Amino acid sequence: MTEPRITAVSAGLSVPSSTRLLADRLTGAADRALRERGAAPAAEAVELRDHAHALTDNLLTGFPSGDLKAAVDAASRADGLIAVTPIFNASYSGLFKTFFDVLEEGALQGTPVLIAATGGTPRHSLALEHALRPMFAYLRAVTVPTAVYAASEDWGAGGAAHGGLASRIDRAAGEFADLVAGRSAAARPDPYDEPVPFERLLSGE
Amino acid sequence: MQFGIFSVGDVTTDPTTGRTPSEGERIDAMVRIALKAEEVGLDVFATGEHHNPPFVPSSPTTMLGYIAARTERLVLSTATTLITTNDPVKIAEDYAMLQHLAGGRVDLMMGRGNTGPVYPWFGQDIRQGVPLAVENYHLLHRLWREDVVNWEGKFRTPLQGFTSTPRPLDGVPPFVWHGSIRSPEIAEQAAYYGDGFFHNNIFWPAEHTKRMVDLYRRRYEHYGHGRADQAIVGLGGQVFMRRNSQDAVREFRPYFDNAPVYGHGPSLEDFTRETPLTVGSPQQVIDRTLRFREDFGDYQRQLFLMDHAGLPLKTVLEQLDLLGEEVVPVLRREFAAGRPAHVPDAPTHAGLLAAEQDRAALQTAEEEK
Repeated sequence: MTEPRITAVSAGLSVPSSTRLLADRLTGAADRALRERGAAPAAEAVELRDHAHALTDNLLTGFPSGDLKAAVDAASRADGLIAVTPIFNASYSGLFKTFFDVLEEGALQGTPVLIAATGGTPRHSLALEHALRPMFAYLRAVTVPTAVYAASEDWGAGGAAHGGLASRIDRAAGEFADLVAGRSAAARPDPYDEPVPFERLLSGE
Repeated sequence: MQFGIFSVGDVTTDPTTGRTPSEGERIDAMVRIALKAEEVGLDVFATGEHHNPPFVPSSPTTMLGYIAARTERLVLSTATTLITTNDPVKIAEDYAMLQHLAGGRVDLMMGRGNTGPVYPWFGQDIRQGVPLAVENYHLLHRLWREDVVNWEGKFRTPLQGFTSTPRPLDGVPPFVWHGSIRSPEIAEQAAYYGDGFFHNNIFWPAEHTKRMVDLYRRRYEHYGHGRADQAIVGLGGQVFMRRNSQDAVREFRPYFDNAPVYGHGPSLEDFTRETPLTVGSPQQVIDRTLRFREDFGDYQRQLFLMDHAGLPLKTVLEQLDLLGEEVVPVLRREFAAGRPAHVPDAPTHAGLLAAEQDRAALQTAEEEK
């Protein structure tokens, strides 16, 4: 049985936040979907608000300090990532972007990512498609086809109806689980363990 | 083991007075700091190389040549020489000339530089940073060792029948260190040639530095230059001292909080915990520096960053007094204790010349047999 590591990053600013609520719903659905596929996932939640100061420090110093290091590692080593942001000014929040800005180059290469967002009105839902999806494409992550947007009104709407929030969550979690379960755990070579031999550097290959 | 200082050469406003030194004052300050380094018994002065304000040291061999004329023992070095954007032919000539003028008291540290526009200003492409460092250094290495070089590469015009002049002093090229914070290719390069590897060790947690140093040591052994613990390692460090540690923290804090590199970011306490920065008493500096050996093994050169972030010259000179009189003598004694006999000292011109003469004598003896 595989034991995929799932990391859920949420960038909500209030406590409690609907962004974290959505992240938890997605994590729960992904956990169930993976178990249905015979996996035994281990999920970890990263709340970016807790690392807001450390993220700014990282921008200035170039390294993640303290607990942020563990959060960065959790995202970089995940077999599947759930990424949830509030929509600010038609895009992801600055805090959300900062976290992905400080990851090492290639950290999310090939990683399945379920993208999701919250907002006050459903009119901002396409920010997932024009802001989050291109960013993860740039990071060479594999985004799940269904992106989940939850507007304030979704939290009071009927869940089971086709197209409701609950059904979107389940569809996205199923797609996510398929990608995570089907992904070969290809270990990335560590350049400090396996350096490129100098003759190859010298020959300009 | 060698102890010294390295300077970035930044012109920075003193945040406590609002005063900004002129370029002339900063250049003069760098020279006085170098002279002070020799006076207080340090071994090495290394200058940065920059080609943009607010930094003054664009012409390291001019500055080091002047310092050479006014010192007797101090080893003059760089931190770093831009192997990417300088013409390796000019580096070969400039530093061989400096080596002659300074009586061999010269080595240099190669680096790629961290200012993006410098590449295009000098006609290069930053995306080729590592290939430039590899090819340019390979040519430089040959220019100092082969009297006549025929060469063709990707980045510079070919050379046919070229002799770099003057030839290195006594036929012994200046020792070279390669500096890099996080590029495994550069640790690999240093190991390949059996050159030194320097980690600036200032801005990053020790675990990052350790990965680079460990890689360099392992590959040094792989390439047959000696055992891993015989590889030539240099480390940076950053300290501010007063006899009373609370005075050091109080005095340094405004400089830290406004420093160009990390200012307005982490607190002094956070940064002290995460990186080798030490602000406190001479004894605290001694204790922290001695721990470098536990992290990185016995090493050859320790350089401290002392003059930056707008610290006034008077303060820097006081820091050098403390470093030379109270810190380094203890470090010399403590680092020497328990140092295995097979761990080499930092290479010097005299040492490299003696090794070369031994090799030549051995070869002559073999031929006579």
